Amino acid sequence: MKKMTAMILPGLLCAMLLSGCSDPRPVLNIYNWADYMNPAVLKKFEKQYNCRIVLDTFDSNEAMYAKLKAGAQGYDLIFPTSYMAGIMKEQGMLQPLKQELIPNIKNVDRKYLALTQDPQMEYGVPYLISVSGIGYNKARLGELPPTWELFGRPDITRRCTLLNDMRESIGAALKGLGYSLNTTSSKELAEAQQVLIAWKKNIAKFEVEEALRGLSSSEFLLVHAYNGDILQAMTENKDLGFLVPKEGTSIASDDMVIPVTADQVELAHAFINFIHEPANAAENMEFVSYLSPNLEGQELVSEAFRTNPAIFIDPAVIAKSEVIRDLGKDNDKYTRVWDAVKAAE
Amino acid sequence: MKRSRVPFYTTLAVLVFFYLPLIILSVNSFNDSRYGGPWNGFTVRWYVRLFQDRQIWHALQNTLVIAVGATVVSMVVGTMAAFALNRYRSRLQMTHYGMIYAPLIVPDILMGMSLLLFFVALNVKLGLFTIFLAHVTFCVSYVAMVVLSRLQDFDFSLMEAAQDLGASHWTAFRRVMLPLIMPGIAAGGLLAFTLSLDDFVVTFFVAGPGSTTLPIHIYSMMKHGAPAVINALSVILLLVTFVLVSASRTIREKLS
Repeated sequence: MKKMTAMILPGLLCAMLLSGCSDPRPVLNIYNWADYMNPAVLKKFEKQYNCRIVLDTFDSNEAMYAKLKAGAQGYDLIFPTSYMAGIMKEQGMLQPLKQELIPNIKNVDRKYLALTQDPQMEYGVPYLISVSGIGYNKARLGELPPTWELFGRPDITRRCTLLNDMRESIGAALKGLGYSLNTTSSKELAEAQQVLIAWKKNIAKFEVEEALRGLSSSEFLLVHAYNGDILQAMTENKDLGFLVPKEGTSIASDDMVIPVTADQVELAHAFINFIHEPANAAENMEFVSYLSPNLEGQELVSEAFRTNPAIFIDPAVIAKSEVIRDLGKDNDKYTRVWDAVKAAE
Repeated sequence: MKRSRVPFYTTLAVLVFFYLPLIILSVNSFNDSRYGGPWNGFTVRWYVRLFQDRQIWHALQNTLVIAVGATVVSMVVGTMAAFALNRYRSRLQMTHYGMIYAPLIVPDILMGMSLLLFFVALNVKLGLFTIFLAHVTFCVSYVAMVVLSRLQDFDFSLMEAAQDLGASHWTAFRRVMLPLIMPGIAAGGLLAFTLSLDDFVVTFFVAGPGSTTLPIHIYSMMKHGAPAVINALSVILLLVTFVLVSASRTIREKLS
């Protein structure tokens, strides 16, 4: 026992010290979702800027926020979803970007930016875009029209799911009715509630993770889900398809932001600029299979990428889509609708 | 009288309960499906991805460094705490008992958050060291509780006998007491090791740049990654465990 301790403790200390590292290169600490960047692009950046990238990962915006809010430091570049970037900006946790250091953001799609809360990219630059839509079994249901009304179809009774997410599901009903998914009108919300209750009678359940497994094993034929998730299911099961409803949907991006506590501010700017260089943007989006809002980069992707409905989103539909916004006090209205829907028999 | 078949079926049920999930996991690590649902054909691509993924190995290294360190330190500190709790009964020890007991019942999220606030207040740089301290904090409690129950059965007259025969206090402790309570310490240590290995909530809060552990990495893979890679990693870890266990058994049999 003592021998073991005597052997392990120095080894442990060495390991701890070594991970402190003797590498003289500057370190860029990135805080992102796992498997969300092309390692080849990261390597290229390390080489070009003679630095080292340390990548750490979080699993939810809320946990990341709670942690930073409590005072955790050391991250130079963070990739929150845009709504969370908005909250962090309001809380004074982000520093304004120095636009002159990131000339490549001229490539970012203005039409998409117009939908966001930060259209001038003062605090964050969109990294990759995702939408919610409908994944379905093409072999069993045939080609379907892209519309939210599908959830009322009798032939999929108990074989479909809606997202177990208040804003997404109420948003789908609102969009189906032709309203804004950020509406605060009680009348519109009441209508959406009726639609959602009608859908609830038709669907199997409100679900997120299990829906994908179910779709992939044909237990469910039609699910409300995010494009990235459906895409992963589609690569395995060729019978699946993805629709972005023509009425529009919710759209979101993960943004690159620099916290006020960052050490390597210049390097973080350099990284944002690097990732929006068209060639790098293309290489990166092909690897992670999400659409980058970088228009020049979109020109460079392969045909397969461009024709995949779960990745490449029709600009006309993007124009009709909306970013889910935090409604402050009016969030209660949505909570009430959601409670009523959940309670409905 | 016919021998009862109940023990046989019970054993069988227990074995199935323990090992069926492991078998399913092993089989699924070769399944060409991200969801591990229906069988999509044989593949080793998860293993290939695993060996290419620098992130996972770095996370595994962090996890092991912390688990081994936290286990060793909490075994020493936990045993000392158990010893004090067993020998002395004062108001102070009552408080001590409460403090040792608290981490067993305090929700993880509360512990993670308060430790984070504590480290931030002290201006400690977050990283492996803060995770290590946090893990020691809760591991000590488990070790202390296990060792304490062992000490309650310990016959202190053995210590007195040893000292009567001329052993110093330290020698008596080392040669008589320690070997007798060692199973308790080892059990506490194993418990601490597994707890440290798979802790997510506390670790998430006190982790800093460059100190992502395996559980944190696995959770964050849910959104964009392929959790099936983790099946492959689990199978490798399982194999390593089996090899280690059987090797230690062989060695012990050779020695005795």
